[in-house]
Amino acid sequence: APAASASFDLRRYWTSLIADVESELDAAMPMRPPESIHSAMRYAVLPGAGKEGGAKRAPPVLCMLHAASLVHDDLPCFDAAPTRRGRPSTHAAFGTDMAVLAGDALFPLAYTHVIAHTPSPDPVPHAVLLRVLAELARAVGSTGMAAGQFLDLAGATALGEAEVMRVLTKKFGEMAECSAACGAMLGGAGPDEEAALRRYGRTIGVLYELVDDIRSASGNGKMRRNASVLRALGMDRALGIVEELKAQAKTEADRFGDKYGDRVLPLYSFVDYAVERGFELQDAAATP
Amino acid sequence: ATAAASATTEFDFKSYMGSRAEAVNRALDAAIPAGEDPVSLHEAMRYALLAGGKRVRPALCLAACGVAGGREAWALAPAAAVEMVHTMSLVHDDLPCMDDDDLRRGKPTCHVVYGEPIAVLAGDALLSLAFHHMASVGSYPPDVDPDKHPARVVRAIGELARCIGSEGLVAGQVVDLEMTGTSEIVPLERLEYIHLHKTAALLEASVVIGAIIGGATDEQIERLRKYARSIGLLFQVVDDILDVTKSSEELGKTAGKDLASDKTTYPKLLGLDKSREFAEKLLSDAKEQLAGFDKEKAAPLLHLAYYIAHRQN
Repeated sequence: APAASASFDLRRYWTSLIADVESELDAAMPMRPPESIHSAMRYAVLPGAGKEGGAKRAPPVLCMLHAASLVHDDLPCFDAAPTRRGRPSTHAAFGTDMAVLAGDALFPLAYTHVIAHTPSPDPVPHAVLLRVLAELARAVGSTGMAAGQFLDLAGATALGEAEVMRVLTKKFGEMAECSAACGAMLGGAGPDEEAALRRYGRTIGVLYELVDDIRSASGNGKMRRNASVLRALGMDRALGIVEELKAQAKTEADRFGDKYGDRVLPLYSFVDYAVERGFELQDAAATP
Repeated sequence: ATAAASATTEFDFKSYMGSRAEAVNRALDAAIPAGEDPVSLHEAMRYALLAGGKRVRPALCLAACGVAGGREAWALAPAAAVEMVHTMSLVHDDLPCMDDDDLRRGKPTCHVVYGEPIAVLAGDALLSLAFHHMASVGSYPPDVDPDKHPARVVRAIGELARCIGSEGLVAGQVVDLEMTGTSEIVPLERLEYIHLHKTAALLEASVVIGAIIGGATDEQIERLRKYARSIGLLFQVVDDILDVTKSSEELGKTAGKDLASDKTTYPKLLGLDKSREFAEKLLSDAKEQLAGFDKEKAAPLLHLAYYIAHRQN
């Protein structure tokens, strides 16, 4: 697997993906009346001059759903986060009421976007499109991302490893699982393949977040508000979990090696990149 | 003509609404994951959703499915979904940072009982649940047409998503927010824009979604859309009239709030008499759109229009 990763140019692959996704997001949210709400929605989703590309890990629709959750997560009654991605959070820039509404409008925009941009019924049958829609709604719903936000709010990250992992899985694993699952459905994967890709996605989502937390704790990454994860796990255990997650994700990717050959390379390289971060994507995106 | 007249007079609106509300409440209750974590988030969703309410939007959805020739049971999941969306918009609208309301449907609002952050989350989760419920195969009875049904559901979901977003419900709320607090009088066309988006959009979607699921033709869908827009605006005109003529106790929510908050309303712009005339005009527009449908099948929609026009709370 290491050799395979080296022969695949993740940086180029990812950079071009980001450019595509950002231009699609830009086109999906044209300025129109009422301008205030559309400005707030664009601000929440498009990275603009911000540091971290909003389109980093997922197609446009997931960015919209993710941004909607983050906008509400940052609200004064929630985390009261004054900044996000290195600039004022949406409520700081547009007011709390507008931030609530921008989130409310971004959720349905995601569904509108999927329906408008999926060629259906050919090649994607309506029944498959419905499964994708249900999956998106599930991932951000009360047993997915919202559950993670709820548990985080309730202080679950102070309760020990099992609870910390549960919060990470719900808050970050579910969206990544959804991303992989939607790809599997649209690509016509069978049930076993879909299940493996779901596990792979979920593992990767948690892995990225945990590594981010470790990097920020060791001074290499961006500042994070949420240091409770590392406090609860301890640095040694956190590093141990990273190795476990890495192995799990590779095991899932291995299932596809025989059948798909080189096409599995992106799956491996995402795992390696999650841990090693050999290059900074924002730089890559800024200077293609 | 006499047969048609007697068919409409014989229609038992009260028992129609009662049985539909019961079916919808059962569907809503069953749609919220029971006993699943996080329990208190699901509790907050259930509290907001089952706090009462007349279930006008679900009834419109079911009735529109029926008038289009479908079985009402086909539209039960979409009917539950529009009520979830409606509830979500109420929960967020009542937040301290929005309208700041403590009382809804005669009970303390969601954020009063569960706190603000959980009310935000419960609203978001209800919105997701609406789409999840509507998109899931298991939400529909087995007798839907396997060839036509999936395409209809996709179209219906598109309709629901469009009516909530920044060109629908949210657009109305934004323009409403921008108008609130300014002392200037809102012009009539702006007031109509607000209500067509804030209130009528979801009523319109409820009807149109029911019609799509019931297998209506495009031409039928457009007529029902016009019907829905009229009753949507009618709903708000009547709401404005009730706010100045009824007490909080009669309404189950804070009365006189529009006046107190200096909000522009139809009675304020047109006067009470002219507002009532406008309401009658909207009712007759709505009735006109139903003229081409089978009288018996259209009876629920007709009586829903009468109800919206003449309700007392």
